[in-house]
Amino acid sequence: MSFVACSTPLGTGGIAVVRMSGKSSISVLKKITKSKRVPKHSVAKKYTAYDSRGDSFDNIVVTTFFAPKSYTGEDLVEISCHGNPVIVSKILELCCLYGCRIADPGEFTKTAFLNGKMDISEAESVSDIIHAKSIDGVKLGAKNLSGGLSKKVKDVKTSVVSCLAAIEFNLDISEEELQPNLIKNSLDVLGDLVLKTKSAVKTFKSSSIFVSGASVVISGPPNAGKSTLFNTLVGTNRAIVTEIPGTTRDVVEKEILVNTIPINLKDTAGIRLSKDPVESAGIERSKEELNTADLVLCLEEKPKKPKKNYLYIYNKSDLGPPSGDFDISISAKKEKNIQKLINMVSSTLLDTNSTSDIQITTTRQLNLMKDVLLSLQKARVHLSTDFSLELVAEELSRAVSFLDMLTEKTTKDDVLNVVFSSFCVGK
Amino acid sequence: MKRHKEKYDIVVVGGGHAGVEAALISANLGLDTLLISMDEKSIGRTSCNPAIGGLAKGQMVKEVDVLGGVMGFFADKCTLQSKTLNKSKGRSVWSPRSQIDKLKYETVVQEHLASSKLNIFGGEVVSIDTKKNKVCGVLLKDKTKIKCRSVVLTCGTFLNGLIHIGEKKINAGRYGEKRSEGITECLISLGFSAGRLKTGTPPRIKKNTVSWDLGDPGFGDSDPIPLSYRTKDFKPKDEPCFSFRTNKDTHSLILENLSSSAMYSGDVKSAGPRYCPSIEDKVYKFSKNPSHVLQLEPEWTNSDQIYVNGFSTSLSEEVQLKCLRTVSGLEKVEFIRPGYAIEYDFFFPSQLKNTLESKAVDGLFLAGQINGTSGYEEASSQGLLAGINSSMYIKNENPLVLKRNDAYMGVLVDDLILKDTNEPYRMFTSRAEYRLQLRSSNADQRLLKYSEDFKLLDKKTIDILAEKIQKTNDLVSFLKNTSIKPEQINKTLKKIKESPIKESLKVSSLIKRPTFFIKDLKKTNIGLPEGINNNINSKEIIFEAETIIKYSGYINRQKDEIDKIAVYENKIIPEDFNYDSIKSLSNESREKFKRIRPQTIGQAGRIDGIRPSDISILLVYLKRTFHVKQK
Ligand SMILES: Nc1nc2c(ncn2[C@@H]2O[C@H](COP(=O)(O)OP(=O)(O)OP(=O)(O)O)[C@@H](O)[C@H]2O)c(=O)[nH]1
Ligand SMILES: [Mg+2]
Repeated sequence: MSFVACSTPLGTGGIAVVRMSGKSSISVLKKITKSKRVPKHSVAKKYTAYDSRGDSFDNIVVTTFFAPKSYTGEDLVEISCHGNPVIVSKILELCCLYGCRIADPGEFTKTAFLNGKMDISEAESVSDIIHAKSIDGVKLGAKNLSGGLSKKVKDVKTSVVSCLAAIEFNLDISEEELQPNLIKNSLDVLGDLVLKTKSAVKTFKSSSIFVSGASVVISGPPNAGKSTLFNTLVGTNRAIVTEIPGTTRDVVEKEILVNTIPINLKDTAGIRLSKDPVESAGIERSKEELNTADLVLCLEEKPKKPKKNYLYIYNKSDLGPPSGDFDISISAKKEKNIQKLINMVSSTLLDTNSTSDIQITTTRQLNLMKDVLLSLQKARVHLSTDFSLELVAEELSRAVSFLDMLTEKTTKDDVLNVVFSSFCVGK
Repeated sequence: MKRHKEKYDIVVVGGGHAGVEAALISANLGLDTLLISMDEKSIGRTSCNPAIGGLAKGQMVKEVDVLGGVMGFFADKCTLQSKTLNKSKGRSVWSPRSQIDKLKYETVVQEHLASSKLNIFGGEVVSIDTKKNKVCGVLLKDKTKIKCRSVVLTCGTFLNGLIHIGEKKINAGRYGEKRSEGITECLISLGFSAGRLKTGTPPRIKKNTVSWDLGDPGFGDSDPIPLSYRTKDFKPKDEPCFSFRTNKDTHSLILENLSSSAMYSGDVKSAGPRYCPSIEDKVYKFSKNPSHVLQLEPEWTNSDQIYVNGFSTSLSEEVQLKCLRTVSGLEKVEFIRPGYAIEYDFFFPSQLKNTLESKAVDGLFLAGQINGTSGYEEASSQGLLAGINSSMYIKNENPLVLKRNDAYMGVLVDDLILKDTNEPYRMFTSRAEYRLQLRSSNADQRLLKYSEDFKLLDKKTIDILAEKIQKTNDLVSFLKNTSIKPEQINKTLKKIKESPIKESLKVSSLIKRPTFFIKDLKKTNIGLPEGINNNINSKEIIFEAETIIKYSGYINRQKDEIDKIAVYENKIIPEDFNYDSIKSLSNESREKFKRIRPQTIGQAGRIDGIRPSDISILLVYLKRTFHVKQK
C-alpha cells in the first residue's frame, strides 16, 4: 500500500508539498487530476486537482519519480499545492480515499533505506530519526487527543473491550452456562457505542482547526477597541466602530487566513452589566463564544491566573505606554505591531516545530475512528440478525485494533484479563 | 520390561500424553527411540478429568490427528459419551469433546506401544549429558548411562510437586505417585531458569454415596463425530453425566472456612489458573452467583470413582466433605480421595525455539507441563511437534513449524515462546486471531500438506483425506459457478421463511445467508456434482463447503492480513544479534528482546509491549548488519 504525508510544515509558507510513495501512487494521482497521463520522470507539470465529487479545488504542480530512481526507491509523486491547510487536508484525504494510507513517522526515510537508497553512514541516523519521530508522534497524538476527545476514545475502547470479553466468555465456556441476557445486553452496549463513536467522529472533525478553522474571539471591556482590531485584522470595515461604549451588540464573524491557517475571527460585545435587553443578550452570546474559542484575544491586563488560550493585549499604544502586565502592546487604529500579533496568533494555534505532523495525526485519527464506527455497525448487524457470535467477536477485535492505533496497544491477554476478572470461567 | 541398548537416536523422558506422542511419532518416522518412564504401568494415564477435547481443545485433538498423533484415535476407542460443544454458536467454535473411560484409555495406549517399534524402559532419568552444548545422552538414577543424540523431556507432571490439602502438605507428584526430582537441578545447571505454578484438582467420590436421581442428567449427541479421521463406524456409548448445584449453605460454609484453604492462608505462593478457579475462588470472587454447577463424571465404565468437576479446592479434607454434603443429592457423599492444590516447577518456555528445541542446548526438546501448560491436548500437541522436530534434527532436515494461521498448535507454541506466563497456559479459542479459519472441521484442509511433506500419516489415510479435500473444493467452485433462477428456488425460500430472490444469482450467494443451507437445494433441479453424495465423507464435504462459503468474506480479509505480515515472519534475526548496539531502542524493549531473543521480526512484533517503531528500528539495523557482513 502506498503512503502519503505532507512534507512541509504547515502554517509557514505559501506552498505545501504532499509526497506519496508506493506502487499505487501513480494511479491515485490520476484520480485526483482526472488525467490519464502523468509527467515524465523528474519533470514538473501543472494540473487541476478535483475532489471526489469532481469539483476542482486547487491548481497543483506535480513531479513524478519512477522506481527505482526516486528518494524512496518506489514510485514517488510530489504534489505542490497552495499552503492552505484546508487544501492540504483535502489532498491527503483524497489520497486515502483512493487507496493510500498516511505514512508512519519516518517512513519515507525508512523505505529509502530499506530499498538501498542510502549508504551505511547515512542510514546510521535513520533509526534515530524513527525513534525521535515516533516519540514526537506519541506526544502529538496525546496532545491532539487531549481533553474530552481523548476521554471519549478511551471510554469507547473500554466498552468495546468489555463487550468483546462478554462475547469471548460465551465462546470459551460450555454452552450450559450461556448467559441468557448476553445478546440483549451486548446489543444495548453496541447501540450506545455506535452513538459515542459517531459523536467522536464529529468531534474530530470540528476539533481539527485545519478542517473547519480555528475559532478566535476578541474580547474586552466596552470601548477597548475590539471592533477596530477586528477590522484591522480582517482588512475591511466590517464591524461598526464608534466612540460610544456598547456599540457592538451581537457577534460579528469573518473567516480569514492568518499565516495560511483558516481562522474564524469573532468580534463580540464588551462584557459589562447592562440594562439594555439587546446588549445583555449580546453579552450572553459573547460569554458563550469565549467558552468555545480556540484562542481569545483579550484587550485586558493579564490577571493573576492567566488563562491558557488567552493572549492579553494592550491596545491604543499610540496614546501612551501600558501600565501593567500584557503579552503584547499594539495600536489597532494606527496598525502598530499587528504583524507581530498575527505571528503570535498562528504560533499559539500551532506547535510550529511539528506542524506537518499535526495534520497527519488528525487525518489519520479521523480515518481510524471511521473504521471503528464501521466495525461496530457490522458487529451490531451480526448480533441482531444472525446471532453469529464469532463474527461479532471478529468485528469487535477489529474495532479494538483500530482504537489501539489511537491509544495504546491492547493484547489478546488484555481481553482475557477482562474475561477472567468479570466472569467465573471454568468448572 | 524390554532391556535397553547402549545407544539410541532419541530418548523420550516421561510417558504422559506428550511423551507418548513424541515417542510414537519418532518411532514411526524410523528413528531408534527409547521411551523412559518412571512407572511403565502409568504410561498414557489421564490423571485429571476423564474427558478429551472440548472448547479449543477439540480443535487441537483434530490437528494432532492429521499430523500423525494418536490422542483422538485412542480416545475414540474408549468413549463413554461424545458431544460437540458450542453448537448453538458459529461453526468455527464448534468443539468435539469425549468423556472417556480412563482405565481403558491407558490399556489401549499401552497395548499399542507394546506392538510398536518403540523401545520402552522403566527408570528415572536424573540428568542429561551434553558435550559442547549438544545432547549426547541421559543418566539414570541407578547411574546407568544411555547414549543418544536427542532428548525430548516430557516429564513435567509436577516436578518438585508439593500437594496442599488444607494445611497439610505432602511432597509428591500426582496423588499416590512418586515425584520427579533431579531434572530441575540438571536443567538449571545447564542454564535454564525455572518458575513455579499451581493447579488444583477436585475430590473423587464413591459412586454409591450419591443420590443420582437428584441430579440433572446430560447426554451426548445423537449423531456423534469421532475425534480421529481414522476412526470408522463410530458408535460410542452414551453414558449420562449428572450435574448438581451448590447452594447458599455451601457458599457460607466455604466463606467461613476460607482460612483452612491453602491458597487463602498464603501457603501457596505461586499463581494458579484463573480459568479453572477453585471453588473457594469462585464463591469468594463471584459472590453474586447464587450457585455453581458440579458435574459428576464417571472415570471409567462401571467405575466406583466419580470425578467432581467444578469443585477443585485446597480446603481441608474435613471442610471439603462438609461443603459437598450441603449439596442436594450429595448429603451422604464419601471420598475416595479429597481435592487438593499442587505447586510444581516449570521452565520458562521463552527459552525454546519455535521447534520446541532449547535455545541453549542443541538436540534438547521440552514438551508438555514442563513448559507451563495444562491440559492433555496442549501436552499432546507439544509432544507431537517435539517428536517430529527431534526426528528432523537427527535427520538434519527442516523442522515443522506451524504458523498461527495454520493451527491452534501454532498459536500454542508461538504464545509459549513469546509470552510470559504466570498461570498454567490453557488454550482458548479467543487466543487465536484467525479463529474463523481454525475450525475442527477443516483440520485436514489446513494441515494435510504437512503430513504429506513430513510423512506423518500412512499413504492410505493421506489419499482418503486428499480426496475429501479435493471434493470439498470442487463443490465450493461448483456452488460459486452455478446460477439459480428465482422460479427454481423461491418456493423453497418461502417455506423456510427466507426472502425471495428477484433475479438469477450464484448459488453461493444464497448459501452466504445465515440460515440457508445446501440441503435446501434438494427440492430444486440443481444436483450436486457427481461423486459427492456417495462419497464416504459426503456429510463432512457438504458441511465444509457450506462453511467455506459462509465465512469467505471474513477469511479473504484475514488472508490479506496474513500475506501482509508474511514478510516479517521470514525475516530472521541472527542468534547472536547484539541489541546493545542499538541506541535508539527503549530500555524496556531492549531488555525484552535480550531475554526472549525472538527468532524472526514477526516474533519480535508479537512480544508484549513492543511498539511498531521498535520493529522499524530493528529492521533498519538488521539490514545494516547484513550489509556489513556481506562486505
Ligand atoms: N488612539 C486610539 N484609539 C483607538 C484605538 N483602537 C480603537 N480606538 C478608538 O476607540 C473607540 C472605540 O473603539 P471600538 O473599536 O468601537 O471599541 P469596542 O471595544 O468595539 O467597543 P464596543 O463595541 O462599544 O464594546 C473608537 O473611537 C476607536 O477609534 C487605538 O489603537 N488607538
Ligand atoms: Mg465594538
